Amino acid sequence: MELARLPISASQRGKLISAGYTSFSSLSSLSPSTLAQDLKISDNEALEILRVVSQGSRLDKPDGSHAIVNGAQTAWDMLHEEESLKCITTSCVDLDDILGGGIKCKEVTEIGGVPGIGKTQLGIQLAVNVQIPVNYGGLGGKAIYIDTEGSFMLERALQIAEACIEDMSGNSDFLQKDFQSCQVKAQPKDFLQNIFYFRVCSYTEQIAMINYLDKFISEHKDVNVVIIDSVTFHFRQDFDDLALRTRLLSGMALKLMKLAKKFSLAVVLLNQVTTKHTEGSFQLTLALGDSWSHSCTNRVILYWNGDERYAYIDKSPSLRSASAPYSVTGKGIRTATSKCKRIKIM
Amino acid sequence: MANKLISEMGLPTSIANIFAARNITTAKEALSLTEFELMELLDVGMARVTSAVAHISEIVSPPTQTALSLMEQRVQNEYMAGHLPTRLKGLDEALGGGIPFGVLTELVGPPGIGKTQFCLKLSLLASLPASYGGLDGRVIYIDAESKFSSRRMIEIGSKSFPEIFHVEGMAKEMAGRILVLRPTSLSEFTESLQQIKISLLQNHVKLLVIDSMAALVTGEYDQGPTRQHSLGWHISFIKSIAEFSRIPIVVTNQWRAGVKL
Amino acid sequence: MELLEDVQQNKQVLSTGCEGIDMLLQGGLCVGHLTELVGPSSSGKTQICLKVASRVATRYMGGVVFIDTGNSFSPLRIAHFINQIPDTIFKEVEQNILEKVMSQILCHSVFDIFAMLDVVHQLEYSLRSQVQTGADQVRLLIVDSISSLITPILGGSGPHGRALMISAGFLLKKLAHEHNLAVVVTNHMVGGEGGILKPALGESWKSIPHVRLLLSRDPGSSICHMSILKHSYMASGRAARFMI
Repeated sequence: MELARLPISASQRGKLISAGYTSFSSLSSLSPSTLAQDLKISDNEALEILRVVSQGSRLDKPDGSHAIVNGAQTAWDMLHEEESLKCITTSCVDLDDILGGGIKCKEVTEIGGVPGIGKTQLGIQLAVNVQIPVNYGGLGGKAIYIDTEGSFMLERALQIAEACIEDMSGNSDFLQKDFQSCQVKAQPKDFLQNIFYFRVCSYTEQIAMINYLDKFISEHKDVNVVIIDSVTFHFRQDFDDLALRTRLLSGMALKLMKLAKKFSLAVVLLNQVTTKHTEGSFQLTLALGDSWSHSCTNRVILYWNGDERYAYIDKSPSLRSASAPYSVTGKGIRTATSKCKRIKIM
Repeated sequence: MANKLISEMGLPTSIANIFAARNITTAKEALSLTEFELMELLDVGMARVTSAVAHISEIVSPPTQTALSLMEQRVQNEYMAGHLPTRLKGLDEALGGGIPFGVLTELVGPPGIGKTQFCLKLSLLASLPASYGGLDGRVIYIDAESKFSSRRMIEIGSKSFPEIFHVEGMAKEMAGRILVLRPTSLSEFTESLQQIKISLLQNHVKLLVIDSMAALVTGEYDQGPTRQHSLGWHISFIKSIAEFSRIPIVVTNQWRAGVKL
Repeated sequence: MELLEDVQQNKQVLSTGCEGIDMLLQGGLCVGHLTELVGPSSSGKTQICLKVASRVATRYMGGVVFIDTGNSFSPLRIAHFINQIPDTIFKEVEQNILEKVMSQILCHSVFDIFAMLDVVHQLEYSLRSQVQTGADQVRLLIVDSISSLITPILGGSGPHGRALMISAGFLLKKLAHEHNLAVVVTNHMVGGEGGILKPALGESWKSIPHVRLLLSRDPGSSICHMSILKHSYMASGRAARFMI
């Protein structure tokens, strides 16, 4: 029945049916006041229902070309679009390689790992790297950093920004002479100015923030990356109703997907890894594992291999499963060399 | 933020009334339901639910700022380069000036080693006027083990800062800046924390001491996940107080035979 | 009597492009049926959907509608699969062929159940009014994943979420049957009793798809394992291993 798919409440639907309205056409030429009288509801409510109905019936008749489904794209068009989408570099050559160039826009990428492996470091690096100007191969965009645990370190962001500027100036020596005119005059502080920082202290604030992002990003279209550090923290404690938690998390995941697609931005979700005890052995699994595991386009796991840091592509529709080493240096995330190893705490 | 009242958010009256009628009064209650659930519960169409939720979300979201403005704020407000000197030279050097602002510092050690004494000293230091190297502010001391002794503190004060403490009425004033709370249950503690967060800044509180964390939770629950759970929330909340108020927070913890509680 | 004739006439299958699966299903996906692919994260559900889409577009020159809820539709992968498929009309896949085939695959992103229902209704409308003819006829509809759209509305205090899920399921089956499409939906797994994974969407969903296929993949390997949970005329429990 046509009414079943309208985004109205069950009781509103019930009233429509009891009053004898079962199809869009029966409602098409009705005035709000007549409907209001019939259903014994307010004029406003009737107006709302009629609006939803007219939207629904309008969608039913697809317009002109690609008439099958409105708003759909052919795979061919998407292929070309994809080629022109830029990635955000991680500053580590090997990591960029397995990622197919870097963190992709229009996708939600989850990065999981144990504490200390470098998730926040990578988050901050991406918040800086997204700002690399277009002439240097970057996106020249801004970042949104949503901090749920207070992990963001200002001093570190400054350090990474400085190093990034240094690298860019270093590179301009290799570029053609034309680029000399647009020499990097950026200061590390400018980079900090392009990172919108939000500290959320509860799951309510986190949900509110994600809801608000739609409006915020519409007003700041130059944002190219949203980083959430870490995404499941506030949902791990203090939740009695696990079924509710699943509903809220899956709703949140869809909203993030929608943002990524709508604004062509990269959404990066940092997640903790916890130990799960099954069959007598401990397994490292992502926090909130089963109820959350399908909520991203790509998943990267950061792990220790002896004394070295590695990244592994755990899930991706287009990338092969592969591992790559990386390192965390004073300058930020960089390609691994033999010198960058884990410091053992005595 | 999560407990903000819907009635105070400036929603259109019609929808605000509907929320109230269904007993959804705080932002937390509204946002703990999915839009679909709200649609069914409030008996309105999805479009209205979505716009109400968008409105509520915008108000509850943390204020917009950039990393730069965050830094500038901190630089401006950071007094004494962001540290409370302990007067113990070696320790102050190691800590980069003293107990840091804006973060949670844990004092851990076996019973009897002097954690409470150290807390008393810090409380005193925070209350001293700036000219004596103090933070010139109030202190909130959460005394879970009833170990706080004002007499002992004045003793310490008289010994370490005779110049101040022999001045008429100074001892009383310093002592008066230290507010001691003795929560008798975990829920009392939780409530106090929430009150503290709200009233901290206007009351010029410059130091928060919690002595001890473990004592608050002992006896309330059996060992295991529930306790970890609850502590987790409290620690997270305390951290957020530290960050937002930029004061030092000191928490003591027991260390019994190599096992931390 | 009519029903039986109907069934016999409609017993067409669409090859999935994956030999192992085709053999398991005795030919491929049943046209007119709703097939569910269920498995844990990264077990190959999306890959199989992309492969089937490529196959149907190439071999049967049929239209494919791919409803994507996780921004996982990868045109690159589609192009890769098309280039792999041996029985294309010309020996070398030329740009025009690639373009022609890929233009038959339509992808639409949706992020809530109502949007999905709208898309399905539009599709139904255009099929009914026979807007397209002959070679372009839509043969395959994929929803990857339907569980991510339903999970936020399932559970909770009322039965409305479940009712909506059931009506969505019936709508898809009706579409498949009336317009000779194969419909494929993907579902994920959730933790059950004793920590063992089970398909999401609960008991009420179980009876809705005609065919339910369980997927799994050994970690680190590209070998997938598929077993039949439910089928209209085949025994459940049959399994196969294959590579994507």
